[in-house]
Amino acid sequence: MSEQAESIIRLRSVTKEFERGGERLRVLENLDLDVGRGAFEALMGPSGSGKSTLLNLMAGLDRPSGGSIEIDRKRIDQMSEGELAAWRANNVGFVFQSYNLLPVLTAVENVELPLLLTPVASSERRKRAETALRVVGLQDRMQHYPRQLSGGQEQRVSIARAIVTDPILIVADEPTGDLDRKSADEILTLLETLNRTMGKTIVMVTHDPAAAERASMTRHLDKGRLKGEEAPNREPAWEAKT
Amino acid sequence: MTFTSLAARNILRNKLRTALTICGVAVAVITFLLLRTVLSAWTSAADFAAKDRVVTRHKITFVMQLPKRYIDQVRQMPGIKTATWANWFGGKDPKHENEFFASIAVDPGTYFEVYDEMEIPQDELDAFKADKRGVIVGDAIAKKLGWQIGQELTLESGIYAAPEGGEWKFTIRGIYTTKARSVDRSSVLFHWEYLNDGLPEARRDEIGWIVSRVGDAKQTADMGVKLDKVFDDQDVQTLSQDEASFNKSFLAGFSMVLKALNLVSLVILVIMALVMGNTIAMGVRERTSEYGTMRAIGFMPKHIVFFVLGEAMVLGLLGGLAGVGLGYPFVEKVLGRWIEENLGAFFPFFRVPPEWAVVALLLSMVEGLVAAGIPAWQASRIKVTDALRRVV
Repeated sequence: MSEQAESIIRLRSVTKEFERGGERLRVLENLDLDVGRGAFEALMGPSGSGKSTLLNLMAGLDRPSGGSIEIDRKRIDQMSEGELAAWRANNVGFVFQSYNLLPVLTAVENVELPLLLTPVASSERRKRAETALRVVGLQDRMQHYPRQLSGGQEQRVSIARAIVTDPILIVADEPTGDLDRKSADEILTLLETLNRTMGKTIVMVTHDPAAAERASMTRHLDKGRLKGEEAPNREPAWEAKT
Repeated sequence: MTFTSLAARNILRNKLRTALTICGVAVAVITFLLLRTVLSAWTSAADFAAKDRVVTRHKITFVMQLPKRYIDQVRQMPGIKTATWANWFGGKDPKHENEFFASIAVDPGTYFEVYDEMEIPQDELDAFKADKRGVIVGDAIAKKLGWQIGQELTLESGIYAAPEGGEWKFTIRGIYTTKARSVDRSSVLFHWEYLNDGLPEARRDEIGWIVSRVGDAKQTADMGVKLDKVFDDQDVQTLSQDEASFNKSFLAGFSMVLKALNLVSLVILVIMALVMGNTIAMGVRERTSEYGTMRAIGFMPKHIVFFVLGEAMVLGLLGGLAGVGLGYPFVEKVLGRWIEENLGAFFPFFRVPPEWAVVALLLSMVEGLVAAGIPAWQASRIKVTDALRRVV
């Protein structure tokens, strides 16, 4: 495998500093990282290790204090705020711990939300949102509001919203953190399926070793540094296809 | 689903808060409309004054009297079609001490020619002219005090003492109505001659003011100047004004009250903005994580501004519609009718000016935008990661 050619995410010498109470805190320290296309990687580490910060940087939600970030051969660290927002809309799907669905919208409307930013016609938007909900197995819950759904179902809607724009990258921040074991397993199975059958690149932050087990690779962060790669948990989707 | 429907959806998120805010805005709009109506009604006599009428009064103040012979000189002026005179009597009905109404001594032969917008049945007018102690009263005051044609009426005046050994006694001979906004429907009009005859010799043959109608309305202002020139060299100088100016000079005495009402109507607008601003700010604060989510999936700051402002504008519009929808018919059908009948001397025409209803509606929307300005700006500027941190 030529890692450089296959990498969809390339971080080089990335540092991230925050100012808190007049003091500069270095959260990420000179970090290099490559994530292969079609990978399903888990990021683990203790609280404050910088894993969420790293995820935010990869997703274009934040900018590094130094170094470069290349996603699918595009330098996102050099983009303006507007360019970054447009880039996120087209290339990244988000799955949050608390699902972050809009309570005033039905399941299908929540999934349709990112498509409002595209030139897709209204009827086509609805069709795509319904398809995404079918993929996550919620075809019979389309008109339900978030309050009418269980936590696992809400997270499925959130995943449908993440895939509806067909992004190249899905970032998931503690996607099972608010779920019971059974629902968590269902969500992880769904993410696994998206990775294996659709070849979606997924980067997931988790505290849960059982969740990390489901990823094709687990990386550990501590005090802003990667502690070294672990052996792959399983064969990544992009390698399986070759 | 569209951007607009998404903005409007948030209105229903907290139904109780939305309902209370709409009620708050509606009450503010009703109060605003009421104040604008009071101001409009107060000045309507001036605003709707006849264009071809000139009022001539004492140069120093309308409280001071003119010699009665001046009326003949006015009538002889070329360009004057007809002229009449009147005296303010300042009468009160002892049976209704707290009721204020205008009581005016007039020339029965000419008064209703000059004020031809007052409508009186011919037989009642004839009966009035034929009876020196006859009075004609407005329909509003007649209805309010239960006065009937043929009824005896006794008035006490704070200006003219009653004739020796007697009282100012009258008989109601007619009731006038009018559709003109400038005419008070609560006046009591009686024969000037009856007043004059009841006065001591020294106070006789004096009149309060002269009202003339000019053949060409365009000449009204010039005619006023000409009339004053005639009396410049005589014992009493005059000030002649078109009717609107005369009414305004009378209203000038209330200018501080009018200014205060204007100020209060502006304060109402500020209160309305604060009510909406508070609601919007609370909503935005509660939704910070949602805005963070939207920003994360690609929405731009301008979209967030659109959502917040759109919601505020719809909220303002709903409040405005509720306010105008309730306030307009209430003033038109209930309050206005009561005021015209009971306070007609001050507010002969108490109706909501339609243009102010439109202004109130537009203002409620604009106020929504103004009130949401800062929360919208703050929501659009918050860092995505900070907004998400609340839930992630």
